[in-house]
Amino acid sequence: MAISTIAKGPSPTRRAPSRGRSRYRRSETAWGYAFVLPAIALFAVMGVYTIVYGFSLSFASWNGFTPEWRWVGLKNYADLLWADPQYAPLVHQAALNTMWVMIAVPVLTVLVSFPLAVLLNSVRRLKTVLRSVYFLPHVTSGIAVYFAWVYVLQPDGAINLLLRSLGLGSLQQPQGFLGNPTTALPTLIVITVWTSVPVAMLLYLASLQAVDPSLIEAARVDGASTWQVTRRIVWPLLRPITAIVVLLALRDSLQGFQTFLIMTNGGPGNHTNVLGLQTYRLAFLSQLSPTLGLSSALGWMLFVGALVLAAINVRVLRRVT
Amino acid sequence: MAVLVALALTATAAACGGDSDDSSSSGKTLVMWTFKQSHVKALEKVAEGFAQETGVTVKVEAYGPDDVFVTKVQAAAQTKNLPDLFEVHTTGDDFAWGAAGLLTDLAKDVDDAWLNSYLPTVRQDGLVNDEFYQKSLAQDAKTKGIQVGQRWSVPLTIGTFGIVYANKQRLTDAGVTTAPTTWEDFISTLQKVKAKNPDNGGVTIGFKAPTTGLEWFMQPMAYGLLGPDKFHALFGKDKSSNFSSPAGTQVLETYGQITPYWQAGTQSLDIDAADLAFAQGKSSFDIGGTFTLAFLAQNGMDPSNVVTFPVPAPANGAVKDLSLAPFTLTGVSVSATTKNRDGAIQWLKYLAKADVSATFAKEALDIPPTDLGADPSTAVGPVLGAMIASFGSGPSAYNPGDTSYRPGAYDGVPVASTLMDFSPLKKKSAADTGAQMAKQIDAFWAKQ
Repeated sequence: MAISTIAKGPSPTRRAPSRGRSRYRRSETAWGYAFVLPAIALFAVMGVYTIVYGFSLSFASWNGFTPEWRWVGLKNYADLLWADPQYAPLVHQAALNTMWVMIAVPVLTVLVSFPLAVLLNSVRRLKTVLRSVYFLPHVTSGIAVYFAWVYVLQPDGAINLLLRSLGLGSLQQPQGFLGNPTTALPTLIVITVWTSVPVAMLLYLASLQAVDPSLIEAARVDGASTWQVTRRIVWPLLRPITAIVVLLALRDSLQGFQTFLIMTNGGPGNHTNVLGLQTYRLAFLSQLSPTLGLSSALGWMLFVGALVLAAINVRVLRRVT
Repeated sequence: MAVLVALALTATAAACGGDSDDSSSSGKTLVMWTFKQSHVKALEKVAEGFAQETGVTVKVEAYGPDDVFVTKVQAAAQTKNLPDLFEVHTTGDDFAWGAAGLLTDLAKDVDDAWLNSYLPTVRQDGLVNDEFYQKSLAQDAKTKGIQVGQRWSVPLTIGTFGIVYANKQRLTDAGVTTAPTTWEDFISTLQKVKAKNPDNGGVTIGFKAPTTGLEWFMQPMAYGLLGPDKFHALFGKDKSSNFSSPAGTQVLETYGQITPYWQAGTQSLDIDAADLAFAQGKSSFDIGGTFTLAFLAQNGMDPSNVVTFPVPAPANGAVKDLSLAPFTLTGVSVSATTKNRDGAIQWLKYLAKADVSATFAKEALDIPPTDLGADPSTAVGPVLGAMIASFGSGPSAYNPGDTSYRPGAYDGVPVASTLMDFSPLKKKSAADTGAQMAKQIDAFWAKQ
């Protein structure tokens, strides 16, 4: 009974440490909140607010100046997809160009970066120097580099000069590589690949260095050639990395537009317009037209597209790993 | 991307919010924003005289190019951090911003005495008339909200598009001693100069902004070829007279004669780069406006080595003596949030004085809206003076500022991009291009 009373009743000997722990916990919790609060506030302002603001804008017509938005419901989405004869054809053409970019950039990035990584992995001397050299495009990417490319690709630029000096004059582009509608988009794709290869190559290189050497050695003992080792052992082992590289390249192709904006602004004519650029044009280059809502709607459609791609990628990743 | 757009607006707005001292000022300092770098020094120079006269200082800040300027104003409007004054595209930015409540209505301030300072042809520019009001009612109109009788700006510079700049030395070398007066003469001149200078004898224009080809080059020629009524009908709904008609095809085929003479790569150049190519001798002709001269001079082109002439009409065209009518290119507006409205109005009146206007023009190499007397060359130099002397009026003068014949929500960019597929890109025939252009213009009429 006595035992029971002690067990059920308040115990002066146990109360004090319990109160101390509670005080300690409250103080710890307060500090925790204090540390997290700036991040939450920042996310609330820069994240939640802008997401809600941007999403609401996609249902309105606004030119960025008037005090009030004009609500149009789903009209912006319909106009972009089919209803408006002014905007829908632009979006369709931009979607087609984006599709080519989304196909070509991931494929070319893998085709260039994987062999490059394999080669770099097999090099015995100057490996660090070469790795830095190949990583340069990523480090230096930016407006200045794209402007430099514009000069290089002009009719009197270095590429035409090089082709002429090599006796390949027939491959020259008299209007410049960006001035010819047939070569402009492929040229921009190549530049995009040029900027995405370094990261892809680094990912491959890191994975190559983690491949168990005994696997390769065993294959060699069995008489496998370098090609067979790469094709049958290394490539399958690196499939998860390939999936990541493809996803990154797809995302860049879908949403990235800075190369296109700086180098061609969608031209000549509209031959290199892509969805990201079209979104930007509707937001900031529409000569005061009330198209910020259309821009937002197109942005959300791109977001949904990116989400679908990410979901597909997750499934693919699960399968290959 | 939607988030990016919202974030960009918010971030820019936030960035501007922190420097309220740099924008609208109170007391003795006015802040004026402009998108024209070439106007900064000129405005600062006349502002010195204004400060001496009134004690009010004007601080001029340039934000360019145009789209950056517009974004800057967008952000500043959101944070209520506007400057006291803006340089604006007349009947463009001023009406849109006026309708949005960003500007002060100047209708009651600008009296007859003030208006008489300006040339008669530009006195009404900046004022909302019934035509502009009716256009503002269209769906997606940029100026929705303006009312008849409101004045949102007063003129600062006038001029026109459709001016051909030619390298005088190269013309002389090719045996051309006088400026072409007909389209055929022009093509023949191009042929001669190109033969003499195969690598740099062509024409540049800033096709990266596709409307330059349409509005600065083809439209003046088309006006001369067809005459006012048939030219206006090109932008109409009637298939028998719009761009899809035989008249439209004729215009496009005539315009297409220029195709062999475009400087290689001009389709990839923006306006400044095209002007720069001409200034650097990479081309022998450049299409621009009266405002182009200042940029060329700033970039090392000797004005005495420049011959200018308006885009000419074909010899058998409906208008025999085609000229270009000047209109107000830029004006000055007062923001609705200025704390020194009286000082701002004083500054506008000061800019309209003939001597102040001439000083500004000489410094900026641009054309003022005031009367420069019988010989404008003494005030603004021989090249600009010659351009002013060649201005015309009436039905034989093409006025790029007259947009009454186009639908209210008209946007030249898609139409001009289609035109590029014909020339210089050679991707479409004249008939296909005309049909496509007509279809695009019809889409704007549908929103009327």
